Amino acid sequence: MTFQSHLASFLRNYYIYLVLIGVVLLLSVANLDRFDFFERGNFLNQKNIINILRVSAPILTLAGAFTLLMVSGYIDLSVGSAMSLSAVVYAMLVINGMPFLPAFGITILVGMLLGIINGFLVVRLKITPVIATLITLSLYKGIALLLVQDGVSAIKSGGGLKMPAWFNSYGRSGILLGLPMAFWVAVLVTIILIVIQNRTLLGKYAAATGGNPTAAKLSGVNTGKVVISLYVIVGITAALAGIARSSFMSLGDPLSGDGMELTAILVVLLGGTAFSGGEGKVLRSFVGALIIMALTVGMLTLVPAYYQTLVIGGTLLAAAASNHLVSRKAAS
Amino acid sequence: MSISVKKDKSTQEDIKMSNENFITLLVVCVAIGVFLFASLLVPNFFQFQNMVNLVTNNWAVISLGVGVTFLLVSGNFDLSVGGIVALSGVLAVWFAQSIDGANALSSGGGLPTYLAMLFALAGAMAIGGLNALFVVRLKIPSIIVTLGTMMVARGIAQVITHGSQRNTNLPDDFGLLGNLTLFGTTIKLPVVLMLSLVLVAVFLERKTVFGRLTYWIGSNPVASKLSGIDSSRHQTYLYLFSAAIAGVVGILLASEFKSGFSNRGMLMEFDALVIALLGGIAIAGGFGSVIGMFFGAIILAVVTSAATGLVLSPDWQFILKAIAVFLAITTQTWALARRNR
Repeated sequence: MTFQSHLASFLRNYYIYLVLIGVVLLLSVANLDRFDFFERGNFLNQKNIINILRVSAPILTLAGAFTLLMVSGYIDLSVGSAMSLSAVVYAMLVINGMPFLPAFGITILVGMLLGIINGFLVVRLKITPVIATLITLSLYKGIALLLVQDGVSAIKSGGGLKMPAWFNSYGRSGILLGLPMAFWVAVLVTIILIVIQNRTLLGKYAAATGGNPTAAKLSGVNTGKVVISLYVIVGITAALAGIARSSFMSLGDPLSGDGMELTAILVVLLGGTAFSGGEGKVLRSFVGALIIMALTVGMLTLVPAYYQTLVIGGTLLAAAASNHLVSRKAAS
Repeated sequence: MSISVKKDKSTQEDIKMSNENFITLLVVCVAIGVFLFASLLVPNFFQFQNMVNLVTNNWAVISLGVGVTFLLVSGNFDLSVGGIVALSGVLAVWFAQSIDGANALSSGGGLPTYLAMLFALAGAMAIGGLNALFVVRLKIPSIIVTLGTMMVARGIAQVITHGSQRNTNLPDDFGLLGNLTLFGTTIKLPVVLMLSLVLVAVFLERKTVFGRLTYWIGSNPVASKLSGIDSSRHQTYLYLFSAAIAGVVGILLASEFKSGFSNRGMLMEFDALVIALLGGIAIAGGFGSVIGMFFGAIILAVVTSAATGLVLSPDWQFILKAIAVFLAITTQTWALARRNR
């Protein structure tokens, strides 16, 4: 191996970390004429970092599962709606007096059910994944909106019901290193998914299904079962993301997950997962999610909020293009 | 109008219709059936004015549907149209606002209206060019690319309007085009444009080489390439075509309301896709027709307006859309499988 090929493979494997470091560096020097390096107001301030990680809990939870699904060559456009619906269900259960654990468990069961519906449409009814999950995007969003009564924008205190005081501690109060439960659940989910991807048959079968579905089927892989399991895993993480978002905002907002499917796709593409399936790493998508959140939150100190859509859209195109160029290099 | 064209065709090819005409006929029948059913349930639904409204209220989405349909037939998505509607409207307003406004949001390029609109159209087509560059040249999946360009287009609109809208300091003739009524009736110019666009599209699709090439490329990309069809160029034209339609729709809407609003056309890309799917256009490419899309739009319009007539909360529209698309796809698959058994 020559030096160049070493460098190329190093870049291919570790570029995402370099991008993260680059973004963080850029954002931390951007305001240096006004603030000191670790001072309040600058990017690398402890409060700011904790805040970014707290806000990122939903996408960090989702990124890994979405990666596995995309590795198998499938997609789920309904994650945003599934997240909203879970947030609403969780808030409804809690506001009606249910304690934390049962409400948590029931919401996760709801997430599993939503995943099973997606898997059923795609695998049993053989509807194209994009269309099937577009249908459920609309369906879940509609249900979430209908659960919230007319004239009210979200499930929140009022009308004789009061959200208990502990409601937002899951998403807000620090338990370790100043970070809340929701963040550590995201880390735990990611670790489990890394193990699933690297150490279990499900991980191998997911890659096989994405790489060459026919070959996988002929070698005896039950691809239908694999795909349904992956949709269920995505459903569970969507429910966890919904709980995290809902307890962070202290309300059950039926629109809180809007656009999450785009962020998830963006994060996974940024992590270098090929859209055609077969390749991709859970950890890299996790880092991709950190990059996007650092960028969107950090940007707010530099430019007005209305630049956000443009920057995210531009990043999506850039990620897709660079992804494509890298994978073509690797193939040739 | 479109129905009679349909019947002529099916009598000409007397023995057996093509699968495509079969599905289109099915969609037309479903549209009529849904309308009659809604008339039974909803009071005052079965009225001539209501039928007219079902078409005229949806001119924007149906127009967008034409470009989206052609692209779907060629095997590509276009989800950028909603963003382009916002962008071209905002650009047209920005260019037309006079230079000497009181603040940043009320001063613009000071161009005459027609030039402002032309430049806005060029801006819209630039997004179409961007779509083509990424999808056709770099071969990145169209759903990813057009989601990205949708955000870029809407993002530019948001930057220009600072996240809200521009509606002051416009020349008087800016509101002319979108509010023009024709022949002393209440039918507006945009509606007439939409109907002529549909007719032209039906002609393009059935009678011209351009239209037939679209089907060949969509149904078998490899074979069409091997037969020497320049599919890259063709798909580029289709993306520019779709972006141009979206640009005109955006400009007409901006003119109608005399404002450039960065959230205009929100979710229109999904509605355009939904009516195409309801109209029997296959997502895999190579199958479907503009007439089907038109009646798909009628189905959606009947379902949503009937729901409003039944005093359901507007939140029901999402569930109704989901059920309608699901039923459309499963029945079409089932009907085709049964027919070709």
